[in-house]
Amino acid sequence: MEVKILSEHYDKPSYKSLDGYKELGGYEDLAKALKMDPKQIVEDVKASGLRGRGGAGFPTGVKWGFLPENGEPRYLLCNADEGEPGTFKDRLMMEAAPHQLIEGMIISAFAIKSHKSYIYIRGEYNDSIRSLEKALAEAYKDGLLGKNILGSGFDHDMDIYVGAGAYICGEETAMISSLEGLKGQPKLKPPFPAIEGYLGKPTIVNNVESLASVKYIIRDGVEGYRKHGTEKSAGTKLFSVSGNVVKPGNYEIALGTSMKTLIMDIAGGMKPGRKLKAVIPGGSSTPILTADEAMSANMDYESIASFGSFLGSGAVIVLDDSNCMVDMLGILMHFYHHESCGQCTPCREGTGWLNKVVHAILKGEAREKDLELINGISNHMMGKTICALSDAAAMPALSFLQKFRDEFEYFIKEGQSKVRGVGYAQMHH
Amino acid sequence: MPKCTINGKEVEVKEGATIIEAFKTMSEDIAHYCWHPGLSIAGVCRLCMVDVEGARGPQIACNTVVKDGMVITNQSEQIKDIVRWGMDFHLINHPLDCPICDQAGECGLQEQYMKFGQYDPEMNQQKVKKRKVVDLGERVVLDSERCILCSRCVRFTDEVSKTNELGIFNRGDRSEVGTFKDKPLNNKYSINTVDICPVGALTSKDFRFRQRVWYLKNDDTVCNGCSTGCNVKAYFNEEGLFRVKPVYNEEVNGHWMCDDGRDIYKYVNKEHRLLKAKNNSGSQWSELTAGKAMQELHNSLFAEIKAAPEKTGVVLTGQYTNEEYQAVFATLKELGVTQAFHWNDTDSDDFDGLLIRGDKNPNTKGLQNAASAFGALKSVADAEAAIASGSLETVMVLAPENIAVYSNYDKTFAALSKAKNFVWFGANKTECFETTNSSNTWMIPIKSFVEKSGTFTNHAGLDQTFNYVTTVVAGALTMSEAMTLFKGETLEFDLRAKPMTSMKNNHFTLNRGEL
Amino acid sequence: MSKVPQPSELSNWYLPGILKGLGYTFTNMVKNILNPKKMSTLNYPEEKYKYSARFKGNHILTVKKDGSLRCTACMLCATNCPAQCISITASEHEDPTVEKYPINYEIDILRCVFCGFCEEACPVDAIRMGPEWQTPGLAGADFHYDIKKLAYRANLKGGIQSSVDDKERHEAGI
Repeated sequence: MEVKILSEHYDKPSYKSLDGYKELGGYEDLAKALKMDPKQIVEDVKASGLRGRGGAGFPTGVKWGFLPENGEPRYLLCNADEGEPGTFKDRLMMEAAPHQLIEGMIISAFAIKSHKSYIYIRGEYNDSIRSLEKALAEAYKDGLLGKNILGSGFDHDMDIYVGAGAYICGEETAMISSLEGLKGQPKLKPPFPAIEGYLGKPTIVNNVESLASVKYIIRDGVEGYRKHGTEKSAGTKLFSVSGNVVKPGNYEIALGTSMKTLIMDIAGGMKPGRKLKAVIPGGSSTPILTADEAMSANMDYESIASFGSFLGSGAVIVLDDSNCMVDMLGILMHFYHHESCGQCTPCREGTGWLNKVVHAILKGEAREKDLELINGISNHMMGKTICALSDAAAMPALSFLQKFRDEFEYFIKEGQSKVRGVGYAQMHH
Repeated sequence: MPKCTINGKEVEVKEGATIIEAFKTMSEDIAHYCWHPGLSIAGVCRLCMVDVEGARGPQIACNTVVKDGMVITNQSEQIKDIVRWGMDFHLINHPLDCPICDQAGECGLQEQYMKFGQYDPEMNQQKVKKRKVVDLGERVVLDSERCILCSRCVRFTDEVSKTNELGIFNRGDRSEVGTFKDKPLNNKYSINTVDICPVGALTSKDFRFRQRVWYLKNDDTVCNGCSTGCNVKAYFNEEGLFRVKPVYNEEVNGHWMCDDGRDIYKYVNKEHRLLKAKNNSGSQWSELTAGKAMQELHNSLFAEIKAAPEKTGVVLTGQYTNEEYQAVFATLKELGVTQAFHWNDTDSDDFDGLLIRGDKNPNTKGLQNAASAFGALKSVADAEAAIASGSLETVMVLAPENIAVYSNYDKTFAALSKAKNFVWFGANKTECFETTNSSNTWMIPIKSFVEKSGTFTNHAGLDQTFNYVTTVVAGALTMSEAMTLFKGETLEFDLRAKPMTSMKNNHFTLNRGEL
Repeated sequence: MSKVPQPSELSNWYLPGILKGLGYTFTNMVKNILNPKKMSTLNYPEEKYKYSARFKGNHILTVKKDGSLRCTACMLCATNCPAQCISITASEHEDPTVEKYPINYEIDILRCVFCGFCEEACPVDAIRMGPEWQTPGLAGADFHYDIKKLAYRANLKGGIQSSVDDKERHEAGI
């Protein structure tokens, strides 16, 4: 069942404006938080079990706890560079409830004692940029940002930075590079951003949903927040369901709800006459699940991990029996080849190589042993680079090949798709 | 001082040292391209993977600091496999044109492929095509296809020369090193990027295609381009010298040297050199060997000078070794000559903050030290005035070797040659030698800095001793030898062949198996 | 070890020795007159020996389709040459895909030992050992063969085409 906490008022147009937002209880939690001890907020977030909603699922409160206590200026960055194919929840949040994010960010900034934050937003999100800009202006006008917020003595400034459409800039250190005016490339770790981040200062980077969720931890308290979800995956989360379902869209459910419920009930099930074939559970870079695995999985971090995949950013891509897996992988490999930043050799060369090999299969130019080659390339891209982009490219390649090997073998032998019964040229005429 | 175990051997390293530095101190083999001791850590080639006991997985050695008690290995099958694949990733888009590539023979890809790679290539797709023969600036050419994007050159212009001309453009396997249109790579240290390039992507226009590197021997010496005295390696064969590269010396030049210093080899080669002694005691030039010339000078001038030492003067430049200055001053003392003049066209304290100094003589300090025991040095203008007034009849000149930095070379030559007896010691020849104003001119060929052993004292007073590298002009003398002969004594020669001190990049016939 | 036959006592004398030698000469003369086909010598220069196709004679520098030299001046032949008779001067080619080519290629044919190592070392089929073996010259003749002679001498009829072509190689993406 849908549990609407974050998305409770997303259907009300008035929620976009400051007045409408305040009418529905907006910024009350900020006032409450500003009276709290910042350390207590950090502890509460830790205790709430909130995990990063951007993809990696790292506990937000623990991340905040890494900040060194050395009096240096700190930065809070909101990662709104939602680039993972299949994900579109942050866009909804920024368009339907920009003040929710801003409120969450001010509370978070207060908790980590940061006086400057940036929302790094991807360049393609025109409506989100406009919506956030408007909301930010309203918040400044109303004294919710700037000097002495709500008379608490806490100063905070917030800015929007628009990216130029690079997938890699969703990686936190690449985002910091981009924000610094450099080429958007991940930085070598260690040092981690919490120690040396934006401009060499301690920096916390959180996803839009994570920051917005902080508001509800303050509102409902730790116990109230933990009411939903499981022990290790607490709270609710927005899932972007896309692909061959009747009602694709964003749905907020409690973590731990079964994937069957999400796909078959909430998202309306498969299109008439179609059978579920596979599900990519957390955005294009997570390993694919077969129909059987998907139907027995729950939407929480542990359950998905037990099937060798990740909850990721919550982008559920549903595939039915009309989808050719070789063609799908070709599209994904083209994407990762295009988006690799080119810094680390295994990723720079590996993504290009994978793309070439998969397209050789599609064009009927591949050899039998190329499947082993794909495995070899992918295995040696995994975990060998600065950031996780090469893993993101290798994991789908490995899982597609492992779970749908017969389709690849058929394509190599016959030069055409097992599912569609036609070659590459006809599929993309 | 943390202790760690590398491949089963225990080693103690400096606090904060990385694993790759520990490998280097132990001379253990480890594959790497992007790491360079003089630059920041990029961690992008991903080849220096090691297994650290207790770590989550393979770590890169260049960005992992050694902690006490670490057990590290790069000999496990897993690491070897990773490095083999890492090599393959580097090579899939690298053109197989080693025969044309100038780096062949000293190429990081070749060497490390032989050490860590050696596999059957799996790639049977089209390679990525990029720009070839790109003119980056005055001295450097780029071949993008050969580039493995280790970013060493970019970091060099970023961190060392601080000129930021280079950058990596585009993304993924379309990435290319390049410059902005209006800002070519024209800094004073640009050829260092060629040195640190592990492949043949960056080549020096000066050396490009002139020799295959395996035809060249090399030996260490000290640059005579300015008073910094960078430690360098001169590359040579029977035909002469071909290039100069820096040698690491933390006290003097670190890993680098300037582009002007790269040209020092040019004045050493035969076409610029005085090959035989020349004499003009009337209107005719005659050639004779240097030894014979010194003997004749002894017969004709030695006694004359000794009889009237006040009419004799010596003009010195800061381009000779300390040993030679001592020999010269000792001879002057014996003769009773008291007048010594200092000729320096580049008397300046300029310093660019990195290596280049305004004083273009390698041993001005050494000359001053040697002269302090002798007496004050007057300026060369005083010598010219004394010759014009006739108070100086005999002049001996220790001419500069590096002619290009002596802006008044021709003028000074003409003025000094007005002396009655004019003895010119020098390594080089120039056109102005054709016309002399003296009635008794002697020109003695002197060995250049690569042909002799000696000591230069640099701007900071550091004595740097260097050894003989090679012979370019067989008949030339050092100043010490010339002075010995001038005094009428005989020279002793060691006719045994000198053993080569460095045989690594050596003559192909000796080391052909390693190529 | 081979045994040297000891001359018989008789052959120490002049007349038996010379008669034995002449006897041998005459027997062969008669044999050759009666059966000239079995003669083991040639009437050079009217007759010439036909060598096998693999004979290593004078060098040929091959050319590309457009007639320019195939050689890339990599100097592997010169490096491999045991007689050190090859000297090459390389230069920058105006076409960046060619990059390097020889402006001078000289073989000191009198030093050459015709071992064929240059041919083996060549990565691009730029040098071959041809079938010619008659290379006489009068006193003062130039035995330093240059590009003109090695690649474009009259009997090569405009040059021998190399089996490796840059263009094809580049199109194949190698």
